[in-house]
Amino acid sequence: MVELEIGQEVEMEYGGSAKVLSVIGSGGQGTVYLVRFNGMKWALKWYDIDKMKKPKVFRKNLQNNINDGPPSNKFLWPKYLTKETEDGTFGYIMDLKPDGFDSFVDILNTYKLEIDPLTGHAVKRPVKFNSLSAMVTAVINIVNAFRQLHRSGKSYQDLNDGGFFINVNTGAVLVCDCDNIAPDGSNFGIGGKPGYMAPEVVRGIAQPNVQTDKYSLAVVLFKLLFRGDPMEGEKVVRDVCLTESSELKHYGQNAVFVYDPNDSSNRPVRGIHDNVIKFWRIYPDYIKDAFIRSFTTGITEPAKRIIENEWQKLFIRLRSEIIMCGCGRTNFSSMFVQPNAKTFKCPKCGMEFASLGFSDRDYRMPLYLGCKFYDCEISADSDDFTKIAGELVENKLKPGVLGIKNCSERKWRAKMPDGVFYDIAPGKGFPVWQGLEIDFGEIKAQI
Amino acid sequence: MSNENMTEPVVNENQNVSGLDDFEPASAPENTAPAADSLLDFDDDPLSATGVSRKSLVIFFLIDTSGSMKGKKMGELNTVMEELIPEIRRVGEADTEVKVAVLTFSTEVRWMYSTPIAIEDFEWARLRASGVTSMGAAFKELSLRMSRNSYLNSPSLSFAPVIFLMTDGYPSDDYKEGLKELQSNSWYKFGLKAALGIGEEANDDVLAEFTGSKDTVVHAYSGTQLAQMIKIIAVTSAQIGSKSMTLSDDSGHEIGEEDVFSAKQKLLGQQIQELVSNKVEENDVPFDTGW
Repeated sequence: MVELEIGQEVEMEYGGSAKVLSVIGSGGQGTVYLVRFNGMKWALKWYDIDKMKKPKVFRKNLQNNINDGPPSNKFLWPKYLTKETEDGTFGYIMDLKPDGFDSFVDILNTYKLEIDPLTGHAVKRPVKFNSLSAMVTAVINIVNAFRQLHRSGKSYQDLNDGGFFINVNTGAVLVCDCDNIAPDGSNFGIGGKPGYMAPEVVRGIAQPNVQTDKYSLAVVLFKLLFRGDPMEGEKVVRDVCLTESSELKHYGQNAVFVYDPNDSSNRPVRGIHDNVIKFWRIYPDYIKDAFIRSFTTGITEPAKRIIENEWQKLFIRLRSEIIMCGCGRTNFSSMFVQPNAKTFKCPKCGMEFASLGFSDRDYRMPLYLGCKFYDCEISADSDDFTKIAGELVENKLKPGVLGIKNCSERKWRAKMPDGVFYDIAPGKGFPVWQGLEIDFGEIKAQI
Repeated sequence: MSNENMTEPVVNENQNVSGLDDFEPASAPENTAPAADSLLDFDDDPLSATGVSRKSLVIFFLIDTSGSMKGKKMGELNTVMEELIPEIRRVGEADTEVKVAVLTFSTEVRWMYSTPIAIEDFEWARLRASGVTSMGAAFKELSLRMSRNSYLNSPSLSFAPVIFLMTDGYPSDDYKEGLKELQSNSWYKFGLKAALGIGEEANDDVLAEFTGSKDTVVHAYSGTQLAQMIKIIAVTSAQIGSKSMTLSDDSGHEIGEEDVFSAKQKLLGQQIQELVSNKVEENDVPFDTGW
C-alpha cells in the first residue's frame, strides 16, 4: 500500500491540494490522516486499493454519494475526492469529528485510553452517559439516522461499533465511515464486521443490503443497551477458542439469541455476561420483545426484522417512561412500584409520581421535576423528537408549586383548578393538579 | 480440571476441520436464573455497566537469546520491541483484550514475566544474549503453558494465540521432539504462527516446520530489515489474531467449514508476503543508480 508522508501534498480532484499533517488512525480499507486544505483542517481517508476488489466502481459510488450529499446532518459524509494517482490510488476528505464526541467503541469499553505524551504510558479515562435520557436519546438518534439513510434508497453495508461518535452528555450522534454506503442492492466488496453481520451474510448467501442493515442495527442497539453480544452465551463460550469455524457456526449457520424464549441453549453466563443478565431484568417487556423478534424470527426471515420507524416509536416511549426520583434513583417506570394505574412509587424512598395519559397511546408518562416531552409526542404529524414541547418545572414565584411549561410555539388549552379551560400561550404554564386536562390540539392528555 | 486434552496428540486421520472438541470446555456455566427478587435486591442502575465482555488474545513471542544474538541484533531487537508495544495497543479496541507473553531461549528457557501481561500494562524488559539455542526446550515449555490451566485461563472466549518465533541460528537441541509435542497442542494447531530468521545462519526450513508454511516465514539480513520485519509480523498477526474474520466472499455459494479452515493463517501468510515484498522493492537499489 502507498502510505502518505507527513508534509506530503495530495492533489484534489477539482484543484488545490491537501497537506498531510499527521496520522489519525488506520482501518481495514486504508489510513485516515489529518490534512490542511483551503486553510482548514480535514480528515483524509486514503485507500489501500490493493485490498479493494473494484476500486474504479468504488470511486464512482463515492463520487455519487458526494453529489447526492448526506441524508441529514448526522453523517460525517465524504466531501471531496482526491485526484487519482497514476496507479489508481485515491482518497476523499471529510469534516473532522467535532470535540465532545466519543467513539461507540469507547462507550462499550466504558473507558478510553489516553497516552501520556511524556512517559508513553496509557491512562484509562472513564466514558459513560451522564444521564439515562442522554443514552436513550442516542439510541433514537442512531435509529433515526438509519431511517433517513434507508429512505434515501441507500444502505450502510458494514454497520458496526466503529461507525458512530456519540456525545455522552446530550445523546447527539454522528455516523462516520460513510464511504461504503451504496444504493440498496449494490455492494462494492465490503462484507461487514463479524458479530454485526446478518447471519445470511456470514453464510455467504446474501450481500449487504437494507435488510441486513436492519439486523446490524439491532446488534448495535443491543450492544448499547445491554452491553454484550446478543449471540454470545453458554453455547459459544463452551467452544473456549473462537476459531473460524466456530464463528461460522455461532454467527451464521446456527446463531441462537441469548434470550431466545424457545431455545435456552445459549443463555448468558454469570461472570462473563453479567451486563446482559442485569440489563435484561431492567428493560420493559416491549423493548425486550422487539429484540427477541429481531434475533429469533429476524434471523431467518429478513423481512420480519424491526423497521427503523418502529424502533424510533419504541424508544421515544422508553424515553418518556424514565423517572428521575428525588432520592437519586433513575430508572424506567416499569422498575417502579405501581400502587394504582396512574401512580408510580419509588421502591427505594417511597416518593410517588403522578402521570399523564395521552389520547393517542395506551401508556402513561410519569411526571417528575425536570421531565420533558417533545414535539412528536403532542403533534401527530410531527417527527421531531429533539424539540422540547413541554417541561415540568417549579413555579418561580410560588416555591414548591409544580406545573407544566409550554415550551412549544403553539397555544395549548388546560383545565385549571377552578374547572375552567384557559389558553396557555408559548412560554406560559399551568399547575399540575388532580383534575388536570390538557388540549394540545389533535392530541389531548389528562392526569 | 486436567489439561490432558490439550497435550494429547489430537491429529486425527480424517482431518476433522472443526477440532473444537479438543479444547477443554469452559468452566461450567452457572445457572443464570435469578433468585426470587424484589425490584431492589440488585444493582438496577441502567447506566452502571461494566465494559462489554471482551475476547482475549495472547501474543507469544519466542525469542532466541543465544550468544550469537549479542550486539547489534539484540540491540535492534530490544529497541524495536519497546517501540512495538504502543502500536499493538491500538489493535484490540472494544472486542479484544490483548496480552503479551515473552519466552526467551538460550541455554535456559525463561519467561520474561511469570504470566501474560495486558498490553496496556506491558513493559519491555531489555534482553541480554548468551549461551546456546535450546529451541526444542522452548517448544516444550510453550506447549506446557498453552493450556486452560496455565497461561490461557481467561474465563471468557479466547481467540487462538499468536505465536511469533525469532531466531538467528540452528537449534542446538532436538527441536523436532519439542515441536512434535507442540504440534499436539490444540492452541498451537489453531494459533497464528509466524517466524523471523535473523542473519545467514538461521534456517528457514526449520522455521517453516514451526509455522506450517513458508508464507509466514521471513528473513532479515540487516538491522534495518530486522526492525521492519518484526513490526510487520507482530502488527499484522496481532491485527488478524485479535479480530473475527469476515468470512464471506463473492463465491456465490454458501460457505462451509472447509472454506474457513485456517483462513486466518492463510490471510496472515498473504499479508506478510505482500508487505515484505513492498519493503524489499523499496530497499532494492537498481544496478544503474547510486554512481
